[in-house]
Amino acid sequence: MVTGFYLFHQFSVQLNDRSDKELLADEAQWIDYLETGVENGTTFILRTGELAIFPVNEPLNDYPKIEDVTGKNPKNNNSTTYRQLSQVVSIAGIPYQIIIKKSQEQKAALVRGFTRVMLFVFAGLFFVSLIFNWFISRRLWAPFRESLKKISTAELQHMQAVRFDSTNTAEFNELNSSLNTMTHKIYSDYITMKEFTENAAHEMQTPIAVVQSKLELLLQDANLEDAQVQSVMEASAALSRLGKLNQGLLLLAKIDNDQYNTKEIISLCDITKKYLDLFDELIKDKQLTVTTNFAADFKIALHPFLADSLISNLLGNAIKYNHAGGVVNIVTNNANYQISNSSPLSAIPPDKLFKRFTGAGGSNSTGSNGLGLAIVKKILDANDLLVQYQMLNGLHEFIISKKDL
Amino acid sequence: MKCIRCYLYPPVKGRVFLSLLIAMKIIIIEDEQHLRESIQKYLEYQGYVCETAADFTAAKEKIDRYVYDCIVVDIGLPYGSGFDIVSALKNFGSAAGIIIISAKNTLDDKLKGLELGSDDYLVKPFHLSELNARINAILRRRKFEGSQWIQFNEIKLDPEGQRLTVNDKAVDLTEKEYQLLEYFIANKRRVLTKPAIAEHVWGDEYVQAGDYDFIYTHIKNLRKKLLDAGSGDYIKTVYGSGYRLTDN
Repeated sequence: MVTGFYLFHQFSVQLNDRSDKELLADEAQWIDYLETGVENGTTFILRTGELAIFPVNEPLNDYPKIEDVTGKNPKNNNSTTYRQLSQVVSIAGIPYQIIIKKSQEQKAALVRGFTRVMLFVFAGLFFVSLIFNWFISRRLWAPFRESLKKISTAELQHMQAVRFDSTNTAEFNELNSSLNTMTHKIYSDYITMKEFTENAAHEMQTPIAVVQSKLELLLQDANLEDAQVQSVMEASAALSRLGKLNQGLLLLAKIDNDQYNTKEIISLCDITKKYLDLFDELIKDKQLTVTTNFAADFKIALHPFLADSLISNLLGNAIKYNHAGGVVNIVTNNANYQISNSSPLSAIPPDKLFKRFTGAGGSNSTGSNGLGLAIVKKILDANDLLVQYQMLNGLHEFIISKKDL
Repeated sequence: MKCIRCYLYPPVKGRVFLSLLIAMKIIIIEDEQHLRESIQKYLEYQGYVCETAADFTAAKEKIDRYVYDCIVVDIGLPYGSGFDIVSALKNFGSAAGIIIISAKNTLDDKLKGLELGSDDYLVKPFHLSELNARINAILRRRKFEGSQWIQFNEIKLDPEGQRLTVNDKAVDLTEKEYQLLEYFIANKRRVLTKPAIAEHVWGDEYVQAGDYDFIYTHIKNLRKKLLDAGSGDYIKTVYGSGYRLTDN
């Protein structure tokens, strides 16, 4: 557009220039003609629509004055612009005012027409180049876009299946080959880490097994004193906690590594019933009142092992952190799974709620390893489920709901 | 070969119930030395004859050459996998019971073990008394097609029907009480800790939900039933550690 204006301006200037030169040339011609064709002393007057030469009593101009004036077009009485030259010159010794006008109408029309053409040409070029660009970019950038898409949909555990192909463009080939190296490295790092976590926990199980077996054999000795027996039992209990802690950490790592991705539709009500049955002794022992309302089943898609772990942790906590004669309420419907229990403990501070090792148990010997709720949260997070905790009417309440997608 | 212990009893109602307890031969295949030794010690005390192997090659040699009644095999062995031992045994039609011990608790491994033909799968760490109880169960199933009585003095258990008789008089037991008694007798004369007992009868999920004091009630009830039926008082409390079934 700027160029357009510039061109237009330049063109006008050029035209003006031409036209001015013409005026000057005309003037020169007239002066010549009149000087040669007129006797000394004769005065003459010429007036046409475009030319006026008449004697004046004014000083001579060294230079002609050229300007734009508006006047009337004699042909159609419209107001038109004229380019006018005026100068007082001396012809055969007498000062004459020369005024020569040239209608700019044609010129204006010419300019208009010209610029119109130019505009069309430019616009045309512009659009055609846009279209070409579009087509070219589609084809040219296709491999780039494809690589981009592969990157954005790549998943960590399937990284080995992501391959960036060779293309017709050298730069993209470079890009793709670097991407291939990178994904390969990411995948092998991932596998290493996965194996490491599994092997680490695995390796820990064996020394734990050794110690446990030695303690068990030690207990068989009838000659132990009471104090020694107690030491052995306490060591054994601590060892047991260590073992469970190890298993808990391993579970968290495995969930992180998406090793529990196969999902089934599980009815949490069924799992709850299973664990109520399993924990029956403890419930009776603590004289807890358990009320359930399975009006509608809460069904979710997740790995069966995780479902078991989830309910076992929640229900186990509801029993463990309860006081004798307390209550446990479980209510389900299509959208929610709600479990609440009474407890001597006060509300859990929200910032500690699902963190590891911030459990209420502390140093009690009944195996609170501080991972229960962390495991619950991780299972829920990995399966698009939400959990809320609140202290309501003196009951600790956990509500699991499905994420609105 | 250790001593042969024979308990012969008059047959009852045509059912053949062999109680000829020739010492059973077990091979323990485990690379971790101390664990292997612990298992061996415990099982030998219970009356089994035990051999050991610390790696795949040694194990393969032994099973090729000798016949065992039960094989306890770890998966993670040097020079090979325990799974291959299981396959090898099945390939030459061994009738031995096989129990896999492994640190891995994955469903895949458990299923693989069962598919290859093992009888049981126990995850480390485990109680030695638990391993013993399971070996007992496997041997009973395999050697005697499950139809052997479990006997301890005047106490007789019928595993098929899960029934108890004391001096041939039937005694009513709950399911849990039966399992308790069976566990005690399998590990007779050994101290059984509360966690070990609870985990055997109730499973290991309990540990996160509470303590094991509830088992006291069950054991108390069991004792009373036995005493009422005229049996000796064999279930003793071992202060601080747990319980023991013993007649001395």
